[in-house]
Amino acid sequence: MSEGGVNDAALTVEGLSKLYRRATPGDQLRTLKSALLEGTLTRGLAPERAIKALDDISFTVAPGEAFGVIGGNGSGKSTLLKVVAGILKPSAGRVAATGRVAALIELGAGFHPEITGRENVFINGAVLGLSRREIERRYDDIVAFSGLGDFIDEPVKNYSSGMYVRLGFAVAVHTDPDVLLVDEVLAVGDEAFAHRCLRRIRELLADGRTLLFVSHSLDLVDDLCDRVLWLDGGKPRLLGEPRRVIDAYRQAVAEEEGREHRKAKEGSGAGGSGLSDEEADGLRWGSRRAEITAARLMVGGDGAREERYHLESGEPVTVEIDVVAHEPLEDFVFGVMVSTPRGIEVWGTNTDLAGYEARLLEGDARVRLACPALRLGAGDYLVDVAVHTRDGTPFDYRKSVFALTVTARDRGVGLYAPEHRWEAEGGVDWRRDDPGGTSR
Amino acid sequence: MFESAVQIVRFRSLLATLTARELKARYRGSVLGFLWSLINPLLLLAVYGVVFGFILKPGRGEVDIRPYAVFLVTGLFPWVWFSTSLLEGAGSLIANAGLIRKAVFPAELLPLVSVSANLVHFLLALPIAGLALIAGRLLGHPVGGWGILLLPAVVALHLPLVAGLALGLSALTAHFKDVRDILTNLLTLLFFATPIIYPLAAVPSRALRLVLKLNPLTPYTLAYQQTLFQGTVPGVGIWVEMAVVSAVGWAVGAWLFGRLRETVVEAV
Repeated sequence: MSEGGVNDAALTVEGLSKLYRRATPGDQLRTLKSALLEGTLTRGLAPERAIKALDDISFTVAPGEAFGVIGGNGSGKSTLLKVVAGILKPSAGRVAATGRVAALIELGAGFHPEITGRENVFINGAVLGLSRREIERRYDDIVAFSGLGDFIDEPVKNYSSGMYVRLGFAVAVHTDPDVLLVDEVLAVGDEAFAHRCLRRIRELLADGRTLLFVSHSLDLVDDLCDRVLWLDGGKPRLLGEPRRVIDAYRQAVAEEEGREHRKAKEGSGAGGSGLSDEEADGLRWGSRRAEITAARLMVGGDGAREERYHLESGEPVTVEIDVVAHEPLEDFVFGVMVSTPRGIEVWGTNTDLAGYEARLLEGDARVRLACPALRLGAGDYLVDVAVHTRDGTPFDYRKSVFALTVTARDRGVGLYAPEHRWEAEGGVDWRRDDPGGTSR
Repeated sequence: MFESAVQIVRFRSLLATLTARELKARYRGSVLGFLWSLINPLLLLAVYGVVFGFILKPGRGEVDIRPYAVFLVTGLFPWVWFSTSLLEGAGSLIANAGLIRKAVFPAELLPLVSVSANLVHFLLALPIAGLALIAGRLLGHPVGGWGILLLPAVVALHLPLVAGLALGLSALTAHFKDVRDILTNLLTLLFFATPIIYPLAAVPSRALRLVLKLNPLTPYTLAYQQTLFQGTVPGVGIWVEMAVVSAVGWAVGAWLFGRLRETVVEAV
């Protein structure tokens, strides 16, 4: 049992911080001095010389609980795992774990390339704290799980990256860990192996073992974890139920992307002499007798429209087009096209197809295409807007004028996500255990 | 400084496995394989034997060092163990950065693996010294004797010094890469400042002899030469000196390592 007051937790992290020293050339002697005298590389370091990889992280994980950690690159996820694993020493705070901690930080860590998989299993097992006899007892299981077959007697340098991770994972899960730390390695193996790993992880969880899981695969985190911590720049941003945390994270990412997109749009400027960036990239063409000065996505019902570029499938949206006609036009059609980043057209419509007969377009104008429920499947989409004549001659065609990210509460696949439910009669007995998904 | 010792005892089977791995990996893919453990010291012996036995004949003092090759071998082989262990040990943490940065691993094992792997090489080369002694006897020189039975004790006393220094140097090198270059040159200096290629008694000036005697590595070389070459039992003074130097060497090295252990992962 861990020391301290927390009795039930398998893993306790309290006020954990980790500083890294910014590398400065010619600094080695000072580094040595600081390490020798203070036992740390970062104490008393000026703030601008230190990088705060982790900043005051606290959480506890109960036995049998799967705890996920998400966040962008450089958010401190891997550092957190390394500190919990005991590879790195925290600058402040403490970590207490109950029982054996097995860490799968990176594939093949601890494998020696020149010797065989078999010998590596024994070394790896010994590093993870097993006696030779214990490894011998599990050896056949490990090899069977890894699916390496005869390759086990080949030098590890001849392995593919998938084989590396399979062997590493096989050893780690067979060391009977009380706390298993997994960092993003499942993405390397093939689908079948990933399933086997997940099954094994679930077995461990059902057996009361604890999982700390770091991944960029949000669906996997959602699927596997009971609680999720979102790290942002080393700071805990949100901790809680997976669906809520992951949605908030996705939203933040989409907002960030939307901001970048708008910044890029503003940067390219409207009109002016010469070719804009958009035109140079082949994203805009037309005579410009009428010009689209802006296009934006408004999400929400009539009362509460706000400009944003991430939405839940089924939310009401409006595409808003600002246009200026440099001369009065009697033949004009407004069009909108939604397509995937790979260029598959998902939905397109225009005012002509919808039966609007053009009379006059003059000066400044704003056109809206309102859609009470945009039922797209989860994914990223690009939107083109255009104003052109009825025979298709463009005044201003703006391709990929903005991007949007759609998230979906249920995990259907494909581009279209209509409202739906499952029904059954007769000899069907089932149960839905996902309260988060029933709310729609 | 006891923590390192505790770790070694705890992970002794891992140390053995890693040493075997090191030895296997070193010769994997080479045609002669383990024979290199014999060929390397033989070639080294041939080079030194020719240069110092024939070209630069060492002055003969009151000590008889004929045949020179046999004398040379008794001091040279332990020195090769000592210096190679330190050089490899010093770089061992950096060489295995991938391991200690990504896995929970007792880092002290890495320099110790260098020491133990080179100890195996040293022990494998000892039969050459034995053959040299027999050859010397057959040529009518009064080399060798019962003192050879004390050789294991000399090696056992030498080991803590080598291990301690390798530990300390590995942690220092991880933080301060220049250590390795300093060490290389220092070892060259020490090689000539230790009576390996010449007998201590052949040193002409008294003052210089005193300096050489103060060299902490000298008692080990003398002990090897006496047990192996002369086949006599080293005096009590030499044993005491070895014990003190080894105790201090281990203590300093292990203390340094313990002090730097926490920062090693970030420094490599």
